[in-house]
Amino acid sequence: MASLQLQRLLALPCSVRALTLQRALAASKLQSPTLRPYSTTTQYPLDTTPPPNNSSTTPSPNNSSVNQTEVSHFNALASSWWDPHGSSRLLHLMNPLRHDFVQRCKATEGQQDSRKLKYLDIGCGGGIFAESAARRAHTLSVTAIDPTPEVIAVARKHQRLDPLLLEPGRLEYKQIPLEHLPVPEEGYDIITVFEVLEHIRQPSAFLHSCLPYLKPGGWLIGSTITRTNLSWFTTKLVAEDLLRIVPRGTHDWSQYIKPNELFQWAKVQEELEVRQDGVGWEVMGVVYVPGIGWREVQGSEEWGNYFFGVRRKVDST
Amino acid sequence: MSSTLLFRKQLFQLPPALRKSLFSTASTITNPEIYDVVCIGGGPAGLSLASALRSNASTKRLRIALVDSQGLNGGKSRDDAALYSNRCSSLTPASVKFLKECGVWEKVEKQRVQNYHGMEVWDGVSGSSISFDPLDATSGGGLLDAVGELVPGNRFTASRRKYEMGDANMVATMCENQNLTNALLEHLRTLGDVDTFDRTKVDSIQLGPEPVDEKSLNLSQWPIASLPNSRHLAARLLIGADGANSPVRNFAGITSEGWDYNQHGVVATLRLDRTFNPEDLRTAYQRFLPSGPIALLPLPNNKASLVWSITAPLAAKLKALSPQDLASMVNAAFRLKIADLDYFLKHLETIDVADELSWRLPNTSPTATGLPSSLPTVTAVQEGSTASFPLRMRHASTYTGHRVALIGDAAHTIHPLAGQGLNLGLADANSLAQRVTYGMEHGMDIGSAWCLDGYNGDRWAKNNAVMGVCDKLQKVYSVGSGPVVWARSLGLGLVNRLGPLKGTIMGAAGSA
Repeated sequence: MASLQLQRLLALPCSVRALTLQRALAASKLQSPTLRPYSTTTQYPLDTTPPPNNSSTTPSPNNSSVNQTEVSHFNALASSWWDPHGSSRLLHLMNPLRHDFVQRCKATEGQQDSRKLKYLDIGCGGGIFAESAARRAHTLSVTAIDPTPEVIAVARKHQRLDPLLLEPGRLEYKQIPLEHLPVPEEGYDIITVFEVLEHIRQPSAFLHSCLPYLKPGGWLIGSTITRTNLSWFTTKLVAEDLLRIVPRGTHDWSQYIKPNELFQWAKVQEELEVRQDGVGWEVMGVVYVPGIGWREVQGSEEWGNYFFGVRRKVDST
Repeated sequence: MSSTLLFRKQLFQLPPALRKSLFSTASTITNPEIYDVVCIGGGPAGLSLASALRSNASTKRLRIALVDSQGLNGGKSRDDAALYSNRCSSLTPASVKFLKECGVWEKVEKQRVQNYHGMEVWDGVSGSSISFDPLDATSGGGLLDAVGELVPGNRFTASRRKYEMGDANMVATMCENQNLTNALLEHLRTLGDVDTFDRTKVDSIQLGPEPVDEKSLNLSQWPIASLPNSRHLAARLLIGADGANSPVRNFAGITSEGWDYNQHGVVATLRLDRTFNPEDLRTAYQRFLPSGPIALLPLPNNKASLVWSITAPLAAKLKALSPQDLASMVNAAFRLKIADLDYFLKHLETIDVADELSWRLPNTSPTATGLPSSLPTVTAVQEGSTASFPLRMRHASTYTGHRVALIGDAAHTIHPLAGQGLNLGLADANSLAQRVTYGMEHGMDIGSAWCLDGYNGDRWAKNNAVMGVCDKLQKVYSVGSGPVVWARSLGLGLVNRLGPLKGTIMGAAGSA
C-alpha cells in the first residue's frame, strides 16, 4: 500500500515536485522534510484502482496525481522548455552527455549487436531526451511518459516541428504515471530516469518499480546529485539562490542520494546483474563549468552530479 | 531506380505546362520535399561540406540537396597540360589534410599541383625581409608563425606540429580551383545520393506554411527553397555557400559588414626562365609595394601564378598590356626600386616597358631592394590568362541562424594578400561537418541552435582574427614613406624577437 502511494509520487515530473517545494518553503521557511506543510504524498487520495484505460486521455481530477495549483504555476515553465536561453538550458546542455553515458553502458556488454533499441523515458517533461533518443540511428522506438498534461502538450507540440519524429512508432508520448503503463511483453532495452531521483524520498522503491519494464539485459539509466556539503552549496545556494540559473526550490538537498547508496541497493536486487566487482554498474560524475558546459570529471560523482546505470540480468524472468 | 528514371523521361516528353502542373502537385509550398541539408552553392566550400557529410558514417544517410546556378558536371581539365588556369589557391596543410580525410585529395590531378617549401617576403620600400625558410628549424613561434599562416606559403606552429610529420617542410600547395572542384564533383558522384540541381537559380527562400491543424506537421520555422519547375525543398539545415552576395544570408537577416579596398587583384599565369622538377624545393615570393602586394606562387615545371593587388585604374591598364609587356612589368615590380616602378606605372601607355627595364635593371642593386637571389625571371604571360577582380572585406555578423548556416564567401570575403579565402571556406566546411556529425551522434536536430552554436563559436572568432590581421597588413603596407615604413622594417627585422608577445596576441590566428 505504502509503496504504491510512493510510486505515484515518484512518477511525478521533477519540476512539479520542485514547485510544490518552492511554495512550501516560501510559505513556511521550514526546511525539514518531516515538517513540510504540504508534501506531494499527502495531497492525493490513495486510489488504488487504475483508471479505466491507459490511453493518453486526461485523468479526471480525482484520479490525477497532479495538484491544480502546481499545474498553473507549471505552465510558465512549460512554455520556456525549448527556449535555448530558457530555464531548461542546463538540461539541454547536459543532453549529449546522457547519450554518451547510455553508449558507455551498452559498450560494457562486450559484443555489439546491431539491433535497434527500445527506450522508455520516465518523467520525460518537454521531451528533451525523448526527442534526441528518437532521432538516433540506433533507436527503434521511444515511449516517453509524464503524468502532467501541460508538459506532454509542450512535448507533442514540439514533436510536430520535425517530420522525422512524426514517423509512425518512432516517438510516442503518453500522459500517464508509470504505474498506468502496461508492462510490455518484451520490455525496453533502455529505461531512463534523468534528473528525477533527487526529488524523491525513497528512490529505491521507485527504481524497483521500473525494473519489470526492463528487457533481460536491458539498462536502467538515470542521473541525479549526490548528497554532500558541496552539493548543497552548489545546487541549493549557488545555482538556485545566488546565480538563479536553476528555478528556486527545484531541489531538496536532504533527498539527494549518494552513488554508493545506489550501488548497495542495486547489488541486493535479484533482478539486477550488479555485482560487488562493479559488473553491471556504471557511474559517471559530471560538472557544469559556466561558459564551457558539462564535462565529465573522474570521481566527481562523490560530490556533484552523476549518471548511473544498472543492468538487468540477462536470464532473469 | 530505373523505373523512376523512365518515369522522368516520360515526364519530360509532356508539354511544359502539363509537366509543371504534375510537378506542382508532387511538391508545393504547402507540401514540400523534405531534406536534411539543402546546400545553396556548389563552390569548393559547399562541395567539400557535402563530401565530408557523405564520407562520414554518422552523416552519410542524411538527405542532401545541392543547388547551383552554374553547371556542376565539372569543367574539362585543359587539353594542353602546359596551360594553367589563372584561378589558383594556396592550400594550407590543414586544408589538404581535410580533403584527404574526405577522400577528395586522391582525385585531384597531382601533376597539376605544386607543393612549395619556402616563402620570401620583402618590403618594397625599406628592403627589409622575412624569409620563411622551412629548413631553418630555429625560427621561434609567435608572430613569424602567425604571419606565416596569413601569407601564402606559411609554416606556422600548429601546421608544423600536426602536419609536417607527413610531408616534411611542405608549407602549402598550389592548386587550380578547377582541379579541386573537379575532384570534389567526381568524389560526390562516386559517393552518390546527393540530389543535385545545377544550372538552377533559387527563385525564393521563405519560411514554410502555418500548419493546417493542431495535429499536423508544422514547417512554419523551416526554410523552403523554391526552384524553377515548382520544386520546393524544405531544409532542416539550409547551407549558405552561395558567395559574397548570399541570398541565404539575406533570407536569414544576417548582416555583413565590411568595406572595399578600391583595389583589384590582377591574376595571370606566368612562364619562368627556369624549369623545375617535381622533387625540387620551391619558393613563393611576395613583395609589399605601396600600391599593394605582388606575389608569385609556384606551379609545376616552369610555371607560376601571379596575384598583384593594385588600384583599380592601374589594374585596368595592366590588363590592357600585351602579354610580353605584362611579363616585363611583373619583373619590374619585383626587382626595381619604388621610384622606378612609380615611373613605369605613371607612364604605362607611353613607354616601352621591356626597353626601360633592360637599362634600369642592371643599375639596380639587389641588396638595395632586398631582392631574394633565388627569384626566377618571368619570361612570358600565358595568352588569355590575365584577369582582375575587386578586393573586398566582408564579415557576416554571425554564421548561424535557426536552420541556417553560412560557409565560405557567404560568411566572409577576405583580402587575397594572404591567399586564405579558400582555406577559410574549407575550414568552415570541416568545422560544420564535425558539428553536424556530433549532432547526429547525440540525437540533436541539426538545424537547431544546440547543434549550430558550436560551429559559430568555433569559426567566427578565428576568421575574424585572420581577417583583421590581413586587413591590418594591407593597411600598414600601403603606406609609402614615413614612420610607418621605419616601424614596419624594424618590425620585419625584429620579428623573431617579438615573436612570443605577438604570438600571444595573435594566438587565435595561429590555431585557425
